[in-house]
Amino acid sequence: MASYSLTTLWYERQRYVPGVLAVAFSALLIALQVGLLLGLFSITSIPIDHTKADVWMGAPEVSSVDLGRPIPEGRLARMAYLSEIKRCEIYLQGFAFWSKPNNGGSELCMVIGSHLSPDSLGKIKELTPEQCGLLAEEGTVIIDKSDEKKLGVEIEKKAEISGYPVRVVSTTHGLPSLAGPYVLCSIATARKCLPVWKDNTTTYVLGQCRNRQDAPKVVKQLNQYKDVLAFTQDEFSKRTRLHWLLRTKAGIALGYAAALGLLVGAVVTSQTLYAATVASLREYAVLRALGIPRWRIAFMVVSQSFWIGIIGIALALPAAYGLAWAVEYFIRVAIVALPWWLLSAAAAVTLAMALVSGLFALRSLRQIEPAMLLR
Amino acid sequence: MIDDSLLTPALQGVHLSRSFGEGETKTTVLYDVSIELFSGQITLLMGPSGSGKSTLLAILSGLLHPDSGTVMALGHDLWAMSDLERERFRLRHCGFIFQGYNLFNALTARQQLEMVLRWGEGASAGEARRRAEEMLDLLGLAKKAHLRPTELSGGEKQRVAIGRALIKEPNFCFADEPTSALDWKAGQQVIELLRSAAHDRGATVLVVAHDARIIEHVDRVVHMEDGRLWQQEEHEAREPVLHTLKQAR
Ligand SMILES: Nc1ncnc2c1ncn2[C@@H]1O[C@H](COP(=O)(O)OP(=O)(O)O)[C@@H](O)[C@H]1O
Ligand SMILES: [Mg+2]
Repeated sequence: MASYSLTTLWYERQRYVPGVLAVAFSALLIALQVGLLLGLFSITSIPIDHTKADVWMGAPEVSSVDLGRPIPEGRLARMAYLSEIKRCEIYLQGFAFWSKPNNGGSELCMVIGSHLSPDSLGKIKELTPEQCGLLAEEGTVIIDKSDEKKLGVEIEKKAEISGYPVRVVSTTHGLPSLAGPYVLCSIATARKCLPVWKDNTTTYVLGQCRNRQDAPKVVKQLNQYKDVLAFTQDEFSKRTRLHWLLRTKAGIALGYAAALGLLVGAVVTSQTLYAATVASLREYAVLRALGIPRWRIAFMVVSQSFWIGIIGIALALPAAYGLAWAVEYFIRVAIVALPWWLLSAAAAVTLAMALVSGLFALRSLRQIEPAMLLR
Repeated sequence: MIDDSLLTPALQGVHLSRSFGEGETKTTVLYDVSIELFSGQITLLMGPSGSGKSTLLAILSGLLHPDSGTVMALGHDLWAMSDLERERFRLRHCGFIFQGYNLFNALTARQQLEMVLRWGEGASAGEARRRAEEMLDLLGLAKKAHLRPTELSGGEKQRVAIGRALIKEPNFCFADEPTSALDWKAGQQVIELLRSAAHDRGATVLVVAHDARIIEHVDRVVHMEDGRLWQQEEHEAREPVLHTLKQAR
């Protein structure tokens, strides 16, 4: 049964091309948009995902890792006191103004100051031990290679953060940013760059549990106090990405675009199938005259829509990978995330769309009338 | 031995009327037409264009509802059945051939035939293939089984269409102008095939055609004009014999 629909699809392929392309386009659109969304917003939680802390504790109103407020450094004791905690430390993160050299203007940047020892919880994993050694000197910073142009500096160039002179000593690779370029440094340097964080304050207290499974329990105990808010690493990462999704309305916009893509795909696919069925109306009418039930013909149309969906998806998935690769190749940042579950979901949604188009195309079958053959 | 089925008509239309349209544009196409068709016979229905031949064929074959009158087919009142019952009746008993060949462009000659068995009877792929090949052989198309309609001549296409109509071995075969688009040689082949369906398989065959040359290839000719049958020619020995037999009973 499938063979008749596939044979027809292949033999009259030029007729079905628009439908196949529409399906491929929809699948590609969904995969790339959601992939872009995932990729973009995973950038926002890099400070959480690329460090080793199991527990993050910050100011009560914190809704995203980049929006931390100062809390007294003394809150560290609260965490250190818990028996599940193996070690804990402070971590500074905040926005500051970066003044480019030679009055080149200024940029908003995101300063991250952490301990730099090999077992530090707040040290971004992209930093090598040598780089950590360089940062030990006060007034030194490391930026990402991709931000050099934006910040108007290169290695060994000097700039100012909030009026404090800093020197770029090295660069990382593959540390993209959304709100402002990351500037990595020691706690001491960060205090100079972030005047809001006076001595004896911190943005977060990071904790490592003796046993990682205890993190939710630790969080629960810390949240008994109303002057702090604590999260597990995973919770805080999700909270940050969700915040960005909603704050930027990007999620909603991309959602609409994906829905529009699906709609266009469905209309084109449905019209393709409708036209193809109408073109074979007399042949189907003969089958009806011969007493072949209507559902057999309906099944033929729907199975054509199924195969259109499968072929379209088969075209779209490699294309999605190719485009994601091209983006990565040209802007040197893996900005599109295409996990397997996203690709399967995009495939499932598009296949469903193709089948629904097939069902809509069934209205053409009402025109099948055996008496039309008697002229 | 006289088979009972040769005496009672396989298909009987009684007092059939049909008109199209409403009110002032209403035109009557069939006026009180009665006709009997017998199993094992090929009947030719002739008449000028627009005289109602196709309409009569559609009513007799269960495709078009008459305004009044009845059609008895194999002892069943065709137009007293539900739509579904009539559809099943056609599936089991009726084959059709139309003027255009109406073959699927994408399918080979063999697939056109297989499709009817697979979709109609739920036949297995193997059985459908075997029977389709048998039928194509009979039609002289064994070597063309793998060809698509665009690769076949008009006569060959019409033979495939005949194969599609006959493959389920129907009791009735209805052909509406199956030869009009063909040259005489191909048309003759088509008529011979329909004739052998009647004579060799015992089917009841009704053919609508224009060409007077066909007359000598059929068992019986029925003329139609302006929605009325006006003459039944019986020009082979068989018919009178049957009538005598009927009277003798
Ligand atoms: N569906 C229809 N609606 C209106 N008029 C019809 C329809 N079908 C047939 N007719 C008319 O009925 C008449 C007889 O048609 P038809 O049976 O096709 O004649 P024939 O097959 O002998 O040429 C014609 O005048 C035709 O226009
Ligand atoms: Mg006609």
